[in-house]
Amino acid sequence: MQSNETEYGIVSRVDRDTHGVAIAARGLRKSYGPQAVLRGLDLDIAAGEFVAIVGRSGCGKSTLLRHVAGLEQADSGTLQVGGEARRQLHANTRVMFQEARLLPWKSVLDNVGLGLPGDWRPVAQAALAQVGLAERASDWPAILSGGQRQRVALARALVHSPRLLLLDEPLGALDALTRIEMQGLIEGLWREQGFTALLVTHDVAEAVALADRVVLIENGAITLDLRIPLPRPRARGEGDRAALAAFEGQVLQRVLARDGEASA
Amino acid sequence: MKKTSSILLEKLVPWCLPVVLILGWQAGASLGWISSRVLPAPLDVGSAFVRLSASGELLDHLKISCGRAFAGFAVGALVGLLLGFWTGTSRLMEQLLDTSVQMVRNVPHLALTPLVILWFGIGEEAKLFLIALGVMFPVYLNTFHGIRSVDRQLIEMGRAYGLSRWQLFREVILPGALPSILVGVRFALGVMWLTLIVAETIAASSGIGYMAMNAREFFQTDVVVLAILLYAILGKLADVAAKGLERRWLRWNPNFQRAGA
Repeated sequence: MQSNETEYGIVSRVDRDTHGVAIAARGLRKSYGPQAVLRGLDLDIAAGEFVAIVGRSGCGKSTLLRHVAGLEQADSGTLQVGGEARRQLHANTRVMFQEARLLPWKSVLDNVGLGLPGDWRPVAQAALAQVGLAERASDWPAILSGGQRQRVALARALVHSPRLLLLDEPLGALDALTRIEMQGLIEGLWREQGFTALLVTHDVAEAVALADRVVLIENGAITLDLRIPLPRPRARGEGDRAALAAFEGQVLQRVLARDGEASA
Repeated sequence: MKKTSSILLEKLVPWCLPVVLILGWQAGASLGWISSRVLPAPLDVGSAFVRLSASGELLDHLKISCGRAFAGFAVGALVGLLLGFWTGTSRLMEQLLDTSVQMVRNVPHLALTPLVILWFGIGEEAKLFLIALGVMFPVYLNTFHGIRSVDRQLIEMGRAYGLSRWQLFREVILPGALPSILVGVRFALGVMWLTLIVAETIAASSGIGYMAMNAREFFQTDVVVLAILLYAILGKLADVAAKGLERRWLRWNPNFQRAGA
């Protein structure tokens, strides 16, 4: 089923089994003291869609993600996830942070099973196998590499079968090769499980490689919303790479053009 | 073959100096250079140990002293731990209690001895109270500090992953504070022995401190030195036990892992 999609070229979202949730933000505003971070932000994300948010540091992209997670409250505006107003943390949403945030005093398996009720061990073990770390179940997090820690964090997020996965620059601290590996892993698991994915990143190439849509946030509002209609899995053949580079250029040009205006 | 002998040698080296000192001390005493009024010969201390062990007197004193020490420790550590949890997890409790506790902490607890004797007499309660009081503060301080220095990001993660308040405490806050708590416990063990010695020397009718004070009246320096040695050994044993707990409970932490284990 999944492998057929690439043969048709552009992935059709409609016929994909999705258990993702839709997100709708209207006029979202948030200030920290005198500093306005979100200035009337509107954003719609379809169920099961993979959306990447890019922008410079301090543009408000992480703040938006924290609102969607329910970790922060907007000053005004509405935010709906799966048709319900999002005011607090919700069990259908899981976050992958910039740091893996594993509990160092729990084994890898215990970390994955954190907060799971009942007979959770087989479930956690299966999630670990999905990220290719089944044989590290009994290790302490301290002896894992940065990439392995983020893979454990990914397993910990996915073990809850979230309907929305929020990724807050989770690959930012990894080396280039590990990053590409992790991107492939995230893309594969997203295609398999059909959750909605919202990725915040400062790496435009990563955003273009992973997302259905790349959204640019500048000064707390959306200034570019670009669809990336490329087949999946991506970034493997020569042709793919050229197309990805073209989209990447388009986003970068936009960011840099803005800079030109500002300095002129 | 050569390797095992060099390892053996390495283990023996630290013991050279103590052995030479004890031999010198024994020689000095035997040759009459050191008066037995000042310092008994090591062999005399040894024979005092054998004599008191055989009569069962030593074991009784030892049991009583250890009982006092650990009863006081249990009470003090429990109170310190609970207070630390309370002020560490609640801003209101911190504001309400922390300043007061910090003020009381600055009073040396042994300075209260005369007052405590007036309150409780020279019975067991007085010793228990003094030990508990001395043990409480290091445990409290390190528990409070440990909880406050738990990584905020881990707490946020725990909340975001749906942990209840109790789960958050048990899975994240308590293990995160544990290294600091155990530092407090080790420190408190030191305070425990110190307080026990003072309390038993001032007012007691049993225990190792009493044994020493009693022996002093009869110029039995061998028994006095034996008592001092026993205190040292007990202190060392308690520290080894605390280190064992660290190695067991903090084995996730690379700093506490034994090389090769």
